[in-house]
Amino acid sequence: MNRKNFLSLLTIGVAGPVLAQPDPAKTRTTRTMAPSANTDPLPLLIPPYLKFGDTIGITCPAGDITVKEIQPAVDLIQSWGFRIRIGDTVGKKDFIFGGTDAERAADFQQMLHDPELSAILCARGGYGAVHIIDSLDFSPLRQKPKWIIGFSDITVLLCHLHTNLNLASIHSKMCNSFPDDWTKAEPVQADSILSIRHALTGGKMEYNVPVHPQNRAGYAQGALVGGNLKTIETLAGTRSDIDTAGKILFVEDTGEYLYSIDRMFWHLQRTGKLDRLAGLVVGGFKVKPDDPGEEFGHSLYDIVAQRVKDFSFPVCFDFPVGHQKNNFALRYGMTHTLEVKPDSVQFYTL
Amino acid sequence: MIIPPFLQPGDTIAIVCPAGFMALEKAQTCIDTLQQWGYKVRIGATLGSDSANYFSGTDAGRLADLQHALDDPSVNAILCGRGGYGLSRIIDTIDFTAFRQTPKWLIGYSDITVLHAHVFHQYDTATLHSPMAGAFNDGGAVSEGVLSLRRSLTGEPAAYTCPTHGFNRHGKATAPLVGGNLSILAHLVGSPSDIDTRGKLLFLEDVGEYLYNLDRMLRQLKRSGKLAHLAGLLAGGFTDCKDTARPFGATIEEIIRDVVSEYDYPVCFGFPVSHGVDNVALKMGVTHTLIVSDEPTLLVE
Repeated sequence: MNRKNFLSLLTIGVAGPVLAQPDPAKTRTTRTMAPSANTDPLPLLIPPYLKFGDTIGITCPAGDITVKEIQPAVDLIQSWGFRIRIGDTVGKKDFIFGGTDAERAADFQQMLHDPELSAILCARGGYGAVHIIDSLDFSPLRQKPKWIIGFSDITVLLCHLHTNLNLASIHSKMCNSFPDDWTKAEPVQADSILSIRHALTGGKMEYNVPVHPQNRAGYAQGALVGGNLKTIETLAGTRSDIDTAGKILFVEDTGEYLYSIDRMFWHLQRTGKLDRLAGLVVGGFKVKPDDPGEEFGHSLYDIVAQRVKDFSFPVCFDFPVGHQKNNFALRYGMTHTLEVKPDSVQFYTL
Repeated sequence: MIIPPFLQPGDTIAIVCPAGFMALEKAQTCIDTLQQWGYKVRIGATLGSDSANYFSGTDAGRLADLQHALDDPSVNAILCGRGGYGLSRIIDTIDFTAFRQTPKWLIGYSDITVLHAHVFHQYDTATLHSPMAGAFNDGGAVSEGVLSLRRSLTGEPAAYTCPTHGFNRHGKATAPLVGGNLSILAHLVGSPSDIDTRGKLLFLEDVGEYLYNLDRMLRQLKRSGKLAHLAGLLAGGFTDCKDTARPFGATIEEIIRDVVSEYDYPVCFGFPVSHGVDNVALKMGVTHTLIVSDEPTLLVE
């Protein structure tokens, strides 16, 4: 889809059928019907969009990173007109973690409490958010919602906050993906990073989604949830698990074998995460090559097509989200519209 | 708990491959050995099939072969030739009607954990977590694991020991034994095959996983409430563990010790259940007693 088409469609979307959108209350009702859902639907909590001079905290709830490594991100975000507060965990290292569990939890907790912060940017993913998630007190976000930003292992936080607070958040690249030299960034990399700013400041989100022959046409509207597929699987049965009924689910992953991806899509199906979906957005999957003699024999596209064949919701592939350069910011938890047609894919927020 | 009848001389064991492909010659020693033990062997269509890909057959083909073995009254036990991956794709379409009327031992491990967990959870029926056909090769037919399979089939009560371990937590517990492959048990959480571990002895093993991923799966079990109310925990072998380029910083034993440190049930490490040679037959669902002390750890039926 080119930008021109997208904008013209947006105009239609905004000017026309606002009243035709599903009543948000009904969307919530759908959620309450799910077996794992809370009985009382939570109102969607959207943090205030950032203004010039607002402050973003940078912390490491999972993997470690040095102060030097986040410097390009700090410089660029400051050039956008935001202040940066660097958390104590940046530069800390406890094997693969950005500090001990206690240190990472304390840093994140401090940022949750800090009234001067408008957003918390996770410096990188890796592994470790699940170690601290149950010790964090997210109640300060009810009084002062903040944008929580990240992806990959940070899927733990985004899922948890969606399920427990219905807090909108931002699924996007993190500090470790900012190029050392901004002037030499590839256009798609630069656009991906600029989309974070766009998401933070309340801009209309635009996505250039290619058409894939195995897309399934249809129209969907619902809250956007998802993230890293493996992480979603390992949240099953926990209090961070997401209910996907009536929602648009997006998934991406990296370094997994095809058989493992197949198993994870079966897990989605067997845990009831596919049968009441509004739509499915399949992002980038960096597939680990099959071992010799263990050829799986089915592509990612075939795997997904098989799992969704009993349902009718729209499906699109190769969405620009994942462990890749074209990884555009998504406003997690907020209502999105997905329109998949034979010759185009539109994905937008209202 | 329903205990299928133990085998009698002349009974028939069907060998099927509900998951990954297995060449017939890889199962030949197993077939010969089972016959020497006095059993008839029926070779399912999925063992040594003409499948060209990862699986031993299409989903429909694997289902049909397993279903036929389940439904055939002349089959007294079903030995899975190998694991790999594939049971998740067919488990919800298996018809257990005949199996419930005529329970029989279902035998295997690794991916077969799906079958064990499902049958335990849905049908309260004991299964046999045990070595499979490949374990008979290269002298394995006289290994402790395969011999324990032989004893289990005849109904001999299990009695296993394993050396003490510095991280063991002493105690004694008598409870039904459940468990299997950690990756599979994590994958089943929230599904219709998910097992309730409360008041159970849980055994775990895995192969070829990154330490961080083992940690993540154990955290999932913990966060989904599967570790808080155990009667006891048996940590088996975690063979061919992988580590990230930057070390995780804890061994699998340390990870397990830390994840259950707040509980007080007995825990033993190094129990002989694994993807390695130490892999004894365990009757899943059957009540066992675990004794962890200064003496070698004891698990008895």
